[in-house]
Amino acid sequence: MGKVLLGRYVPGDSIVHQMDPRAKLILSFFFIIIIFLANNWQSYVLLLTLTIGSIMAAKVNFAFFIKGVRPLIWLILFTVLLQIFFSSGGTIFWRWGPFNLSYFGLINGAYVFCRFVLIIFMSTLLTLTTAPLEIADALEKLMMPLKKIKVPVYEISLMLSIALRFVPTLMDETAKIMNAQRSRGVNFGEGNIMQQIKSVVPLLVPLFVSSFNRAEDLATAMEARGYRGGEGRTKYRVHYWHTSDTTGCAVFVIVMLILLFVRHW
Amino acid sequence: MAMAIIFKTVNYTYQPDTPFEQQALDNISVEIPTGSYTALIGHTGSGKSTFLQHLNGLLRPTSGEILIGEQIITTETKNKELGELRKHVGIVFQFPEAQLFEETVIKDIAFAPKNFGKTEAEAEIIARKMARQVGLGEELLTKSPFELSGGQMRRVAIAGILAMEPEVLVLDEPTAGLDPKGRLEMMRMFKRLKEEQNLTVVLVTHQMDDVANYADNVIVLEEGKLIANGTPSEIFSQPDWLVEHHLALPKAGEFALAFEKKTGYKFSTLPLTEVSLARQIASLLHEGGGDVHHG
Repeated sequence: MGKVLLGRYVPGDSIVHQMDPRAKLILSFFFIIIIFLANNWQSYVLLLTLTIGSIMAAKVNFAFFIKGVRPLIWLILFTVLLQIFFSSGGTIFWRWGPFNLSYFGLINGAYVFCRFVLIIFMSTLLTLTTAPLEIADALEKLMMPLKKIKVPVYEISLMLSIALRFVPTLMDETAKIMNAQRSRGVNFGEGNIMQQIKSVVPLLVPLFVSSFNRAEDLATAMEARGYRGGEGRTKYRVHYWHTSDTTGCAVFVIVMLILLFVRHW
Repeated sequence: MAMAIIFKTVNYTYQPDTPFEQQALDNISVEIPTGSYTALIGHTGSGKSTFLQHLNGLLRPTSGEILIGEQIITTETKNKELGELRKHVGIVFQFPEAQLFEETVIKDIAFAPKNFGKTEAEAEIIARKMARQVGLGEELLTKSPFELSGGQMRRVAIAGILAMEPEVLVLDEPTAGLDPKGRLEMMRMFKRLKEEQNLTVVLVTHQMDDVANYADNVIVLEEGKLIANGTPSEIFSQPDWLVEHHLALPKAGEFALAFEKKTGYKFSTLPLTEVSLARQIASLLHEGGGDVHHG
C-alpha cells in the first residue's frame, strides 16, 4: 500500500519535469476550467491532442495514466450512466419510468467520460512530474496574495509540507503495528464486518498516540532550531520562471482561444 | 511440544519484479534448536528483521521452506494456516510499547490470549500471572497503559506477549532505550523466564555482552546471508574475523585482548564474560602472578 500516494512522483528531466511547479499547478487548474468549454467532438479532439502532447513532452510511461484512472472507474461509470439514462432529447431509443435512453443521453455520456479521463490524465501528469513538496511550495507562492486578507498562508503551507513529509513515516508505523498486532492474534481483513471494525481499534489507537507524540517532538525540535513562523524565511528550493513556462502558458491560452472558436462551429 | 526451527535454503525478496526489488534473505539454511538461547546479530539492513518476521509467518519465504515444530511454511502457505503457529511463537518487536492500545494494563496483557481462544476469565488469570512475572505491581493493572513510564510500558508489552504462553520467545532488541539498570533487570528476567518455562529464545541484539552472557547459539547475518553460526566462544574466537565483519567483542573479551597485548600473557581460552575474566585473572594471580610482565 506504500505506493498509492507518493510513489506517484516519477523523477525525470523532461521539459515538463523542469517546469516551474507554479506554472504546472496553474495550467492544471486552467485545463480543468477550459474543459468545461468543450461542447462538441471537435473540441474534445483538440483537448485530447493537448493532453497527449503534454504527456509525450513529459516522457512518462503511459501505463501510469491508465493506473491513475483505475481507482476512479466506478465513480466515472456511475456518473456516465446517470447522464445516459436521465438526459433526454433527440431520438429516444428506449423508455422505462423515469429512465430513457436517448441520442443526446448517449452523446452526453460519452462527453462526461472524456471529461473525466482528460482531467485525471492532466492531474496525474502534474503529480507524476512534480515532487509533492514542490507542489506545496507552489501553493504557498500562489496563495501569497491571500495574505492581504489575513489567510495564514505560511501555516497552511507548513501543514501541507509536514503532512506530505509524514505520509511514508506513518505508512511504516502502520506496517509495524499491524505486524505486532498480528503476532498477538489479530486477523486484519478477515471475518464479518463487526470483527473487521473491531480489528481496526488495536491499529488506530497506537497510531494516534504515536502521531501525537511525534507532533510534540517535531514542534520541540523546530523551536529548538529557532523556527518562529514563516515570516521572512527564505526557501531552500528557489523557483525561477523560465521561458518554457511562459511558452507552456501560451500554448494553453492558444488552445483556449481555438476552443472558443470551435465551440460555435 | 518440540519447536525446533529449521530454515532450508530460504530466500526472501521485497517487491519482486519491480525496480524496487530487494533481496533481504539470501539462501539461508540454519537451525534454531529447541530450548536454545539463540542470539541473532548483524548490522542494520543485514536482514535480521526480515528473518524475525519469518518466525511466525508474518512473511513467507519467496523460495525455500521453514519448519517450525510440525508446521512447514513455504511461499504457498495460506494465512489461515498460520494462526496456530502465531500462538506458539511470541514476538516482542522493537519498542513494543508502541503496540499498547487498551484502556487498562490488565486488558492489554489479556488481549493476545483472548484472541487465541481463551475466555475472558482465563485470560485475566494469565494476565495477572504475567504481570507479576515481569514485575508490574498490582496497583498498576487498572491504570491506563499510557499513564505509565517508558520502562513500565515496555514491561506491559512484554507481558502481553508472554501471556500467549509461547514456546518460542523472539526478542527484537528488547532493552533498546532502557537505562542500564532496567536493561540488566530485563535481561535477567528473560533468562529466568526461559529456565522456568523451558522457552526457546531468539534474541536480536547489538550488545555483544548480552550475547556472551546469555546466548548459547549465535547466528550472524550480513547482507541477507548467513556468515556464521555457532556458540559464542566459537564466534568470538577470531578477533580478526570480527573486525573484518565490523563486529565487536564483548567488553570482557576486549579487556582480555588488551591485557594480553600489554602483559604478553596468553589466556588459554579468551574470556568473554566478566565472570570468566575475573576468574581467570584471579586464578592467574593465585598461581603466582609474578610471571606477568608489567610493561
